[in-house]
Amino acid sequence: MKSFAAYQRFNTWTAIIILLMGSIAFYGVLQYVLIRQLDESLKAEQQEISAYVQQYHQLPVIQNTKNQWIIVDSNVIALPKHKFRTITAFNKAEQEMREIRQLQFHLQVGNRHYLVQVNKSQAETEDLLQLIAILAFGMIALLLVLNFFVNRKLVNKLFKPFQQTITAIREYKIGQSQPLQLPTSKVTEIHVLNISLNEMSQRIFTEYRSLKSFTENAAHEMQTPLAVIRSSIESMIQQNNLDEAGVQQLMAIDDNMQKLIKLHQSLLLLAKIENNQFALNETVQLDQIIRNKCEEKAAFIEARQLTIQRQLVPVTVLFHQQLTEILINNLLNNAIRYTAQNGQITIVLTANSCSIRNTAAQGSLDTEKVFKRFYRPQQQTEGTGLGLAIVHEICRLAEWHIQYTFEQNEHSFIIQFVNQEKKI
Amino acid sequence: MKLLIIEDEITLNKTMTGFLTAAGYLCETVTNYNDAIEKIDLYEYDCIVLDIMLPGGSGLELLQYLKTNKKNDGVIIISAKDSLDDKITGLQLGADDYLTKPFHLPELSMRVAAIIRRKKMDGHNILNIGNWLFIDTIAQKVTVQQQEIELTQKEYQLLLFFVVNKNRVLSKSAIAQHLWGDDMDLADHYDFIYTHIKNLRKKMMAAGGEDCIRSIYGAGYKMQVD
Repeated sequence: MKSFAAYQRFNTWTAIIILLMGSIAFYGVLQYVLIRQLDESLKAEQQEISAYVQQYHQLPVIQNTKNQWIIVDSNVIALPKHKFRTITAFNKAEQEMREIRQLQFHLQVGNRHYLVQVNKSQAETEDLLQLIAILAFGMIALLLVLNFFVNRKLVNKLFKPFQQTITAIREYKIGQSQPLQLPTSKVTEIHVLNISLNEMSQRIFTEYRSLKSFTENAAHEMQTPLAVIRSSIESMIQQNNLDEAGVQQLMAIDDNMQKLIKLHQSLLLLAKIENNQFALNETVQLDQIIRNKCEEKAAFIEARQLTIQRQLVPVTVLFHQQLTEILINNLLNNAIRYTAQNGQITIVLTANSCSIRNTAAQGSLDTEKVFKRFYRPQQQTEGTGLGLAIVHEICRLAEWHIQYTFEQNEHSFIIQFVNQEKKI
Repeated sequence: MKLLIIEDEITLNKTMTGFLTAAGYLCETVTNYNDAIEKIDLYEYDCIVLDIMLPGGSGLELLQYLKTNKKNDGVIIISAKDSLDDKITGLQLGADDYLTKPFHLPELSMRVAAIIRRKKMDGHNILNIGNWLFIDTIAQKVTVQQQEIELTQKEYQLLLFFVVNKNRVLSKSAIAQHLWGDDMDLADHYDFIYTHIKNLRKKMMAAGGEDCIRSIYGAGYKMQVD
């Protein structure tokens, strides 16, 4: 919950700073007010004494209390600077050093000059201030702690639908049969988020569906014109009045159309794999497929004077029969086609992996691009350039890991059946 | 032999009809579902060439119609869809074979002939060229001038392909597709076709047969018989 942590940190520091500044200001103001009050009472004392002296022309008998005492000094030379001052002095009544507020003034009784100091203990003010400070800090602490917990609880509650939305998005797969359906929420932001996501998902879903049906339709719609062209070519070559050039041209059309058909079938197959249009629940006898495919191609292997070595153990996987056949077929076709004359093809099937190796007619393939669509080694125009892309897609669908390496002048394709659950 | 060709694409319908007529069949053609039903009700056909997507209805419905009305016509489906599900559905509904567009006309002819042979069940499993070449399609035996000749599986398939499509030019791609299917690219096969044909001719001539397979400008081959 990163955004909450950031928010909380900012919030806490702001609160601390503001409350601290507020407390200091409060303290200052309070102190000022209390001192003013103290000074007022000192002044009242001064006026009382002055009034008494004016009336009776003698010093009053001064009654000192615990909190207030008056000192009269007859040896006055000059009036000190501060009228009011705060000093730390020994309070006899309390027997300790205390802050004392003092007012000193000049008094004339007859011909004699006195310096009068009216002292008042500041202890009460201090105690009050201390209490207020403690209270203020306590409240700050309480506020922060409460703030933290309330926020956390509230944010957790607020974020819950958000978390649910995230989980729903994470688990959503594009090929699913339904668009994303997030619930509505009372929280406006989440509500807007969910509604927007639902709308986006709906748009993606619709476009995906139309793209998928377009691929299918386009593929099927292409079949018929291709069939018309092919049957027309075949009808034409039956005519006896065609000369050699005419026949050759017709065959060139036919050959290229064959390539087009092959390309079209390959792209359709790729589209079908990508659209997850295969049910992957067939038990497939891998060793059997390899044996059958080798047998089918025995004549080609023989004609190119290749030797084929097989080390097969029985392996059964839960996948798709036709796709597995295509996979083996494409790899084997490549091995046969790109093996040097008199070369060797080695097929090793173990419980965990299948490798098909062949001695290379030319150098290494580009390991980066080998499974890319329409990748062909240089000066290689045969084939659709989709064979290995199909192999790659089939492996992806099966959750197998395929790798191409080139070692000791050998092309090597290794499939690892990483997903053990798919095995029986 | 009577065929009904049900295909809404006119050009394809015409080329198929032309090719199959030349192969000796009596062909009737329709281009939509309702006409097809009408024809099926009125006549009996040895084989029906059936497109799946038709104006007015689906070929699969037509299969269902044939089944409920206990019609025994042979059916080959020609469909633009090559999905396995359609193939299985079609065959379960009583179709005898399934060919995906685009196909080779000699291949269609071959499949139609096979369906008719299977349906007849009355000894029509012997194909012949003149009175010197006989093929027993059940035992897969070939005799030339009363002498049985040994052929490999591919040579046998090739010979049968030529005999069914006699006097027609068969392109290399049609032959390759017939012998090896879609699995490999054509260029890989062309040398093999030559080798197989050479061997086939050698074996037939050794038994006293006629040398009737000709190359057509290196583009294809033709079994030329009277």
